[in-house]
Amino acid sequence: MGEIGLASAITRIEGRFGVHALARGDTSERRRSEIVIATKTSLDRVIGGGLAAGEPLAFVGPPSVGKLSLAFRAVVGAQAQGGTVAWVDPNASFDPRAAECAGIDLERVIVVRARRDAVALATAAALRSEGFRLVVVDAGDPALGGIDVDDLAPALPAVRGSPAAFLVVAAKRGRRVAVPAVVFERVAWERRFDRTVGWSFSVGATRGQSPLASRVLFHVTLDGGFEGDEAPIDRAEVAV
Amino acid sequence: MRDPVTLAIVSSASALVHARLLSTLHAAVPRVGVLDPGVFACDLAGTEELLGAPARVARRVLARCARIGVQVSAGIAPTPFVARVLAERTPAGEVRAVEDGRAFLASLPLDVLPVDEKVREELRLLGLRIVGDFAELPRGAVFDRFGSAVARAHALARGEFGDMVRATAPPRRIRARRVWDDAITSHEQLVFALRVVVDEISAALARDGLAALRLELRLDREDAGSLRIERSVLPPTRESTALHRSLRWALEERTEIGLVTGCALEVPEVEAARGRQIGLFAPDGARKEEAIATARYLRAKLGRGVVLRARVANADARLPERASEWLEVTV
Repeated sequence: MGEIGLASAITRIEGRFGVHALARGDTSERRRSEIVIATKTSLDRVIGGGLAAGEPLAFVGPPSVGKLSLAFRAVVGAQAQGGTVAWVDPNASFDPRAAECAGIDLERVIVVRARRDAVALATAAALRSEGFRLVVVDAGDPALGGIDVDDLAPALPAVRGSPAAFLVVAAKRGRRVAVPAVVFERVAWERRFDRTVGWSFSVGATRGQSPLASRVLFHVTLDGGFEGDEAPIDRAEVAV
Repeated sequence: MRDPVTLAIVSSASALVHARLLSTLHAAVPRVGVLDPGVFACDLAGTEELLGAPARVARRVLARCARIGVQVSAGIAPTPFVARVLAERTPAGEVRAVEDGRAFLASLPLDVLPVDEKVREELRLLGLRIVGDFAELPRGAVFDRFGSAVARAHALARGEFGDMVRATAPPRRIRARRVWDDAITSHEQLVFALRVVVDEISAALARDGLAALRLELRLDREDAGSLRIERSVLPPTRESTALHRSLRWALEERTEIGLVTGCALEVPEVEAARGRQIGLFAPDGARKEEAIATARYLRAKLGRGVVLRARVANADARLPERASEWLEVTV
């Protein structure tokens, strides 16, 4: 019985809680600083310091609100730790120029333009690989070749214990799968002389993920400004 | 950094004697490469403390070879090429050593260099008779006129080309087996059970300083014949996780595995394990190879034009499609 019984037990646990839910006794724990990817924006206060390896997070909000800008910040954060990033892009909408403007090293981004059915496979493979620090799925608009968050359900068991953090950028939350999400909402347009010169948006946690802050404000201007809620944290180019 | 030291062993041996010599050398020194039939290069860098001075090691090797009835000659030099040339010019049963490879080669005829006869003839027409004359030529001029193969020979002539000794697998089999009382029926159970087997293989590879290049898995089944799975491991690795993942992917491609009662995992092809360059201040820099391996897997699964890397070609282009280029992920 021995090994097979143990295998069955572990299979059941992994089936329920993810493939890396169990670790061998000699596996050393990684320090939290090693597993958290900071975006270095006010968002970190909402999501408890940053995106953690082995945990999913969704950026949910209407189009052109600022989700990708912050996702790019997360990519920069992951690369700052020496990691490679997998960007799953069913919509083929990844803009290299905007990414480079945001400070992303394109050499360390692998873009997977998987079609709808293959998105979960690509995501799961990237999460199971030990090669990536962050896996981003830009779900896009389902009407235009994108996917629903629900379509990622088969990949979610691979998240736990993965060395990569998992970020989904989507317009709507999933109905069947519960992925912790932060919600992006446009607060106001900034107009000058009848021209739109920027906007502000808020990002809020949905389930009190951080006791420190539940909502932060960002402000985007067309001259490339991008500021957090309180004191300007830093400025980054943003594609608008 | 340790000074490179290579011991070359040369014998005019038949294929049978070659195999016996190879196993004798594997028993005596840790890193043995085969240059040609009957010609071996042993990397002795850093072994002095453990094995003794290179000359002493060479004499011990000669004595071992003599015990199996093969007379060999040995040369000790900083590079495999110089050591080989030296050993070829040493009488059987003797050991010679040189410290300055370039000075040793300088007086030898051009025939010792691994270049085409046509090139050799051209060099003679240019008035070059010995290796020393050839080595004096400027490196750039040699490359421009003759190309990279002759430029490599030029580096050899200067005693510079410290080509790594490509270690061969020791003749023993790297193999692990398991038999299970209860048949395994699901992929997940099998993948889990294979972890132990892969760990064993990984430890065996680590002991020998080798990386697996190919894996052969045989699954013994109760309800059908044995199932054989072959996997190429790219990049070659001895890491348990990578080997295990490779097998898992192979199994995932099969819808039915049947009732598996045992397995045998073997590494039929290996190469010397190479260290990974870990980027400074980049704790995960070493994982890049894993990322590329995953990208290749996805490319194999999803086809061309799906797994890509982007590059900004013209940041000022008005049209986005002209601003960037998309490249297949290859290396």
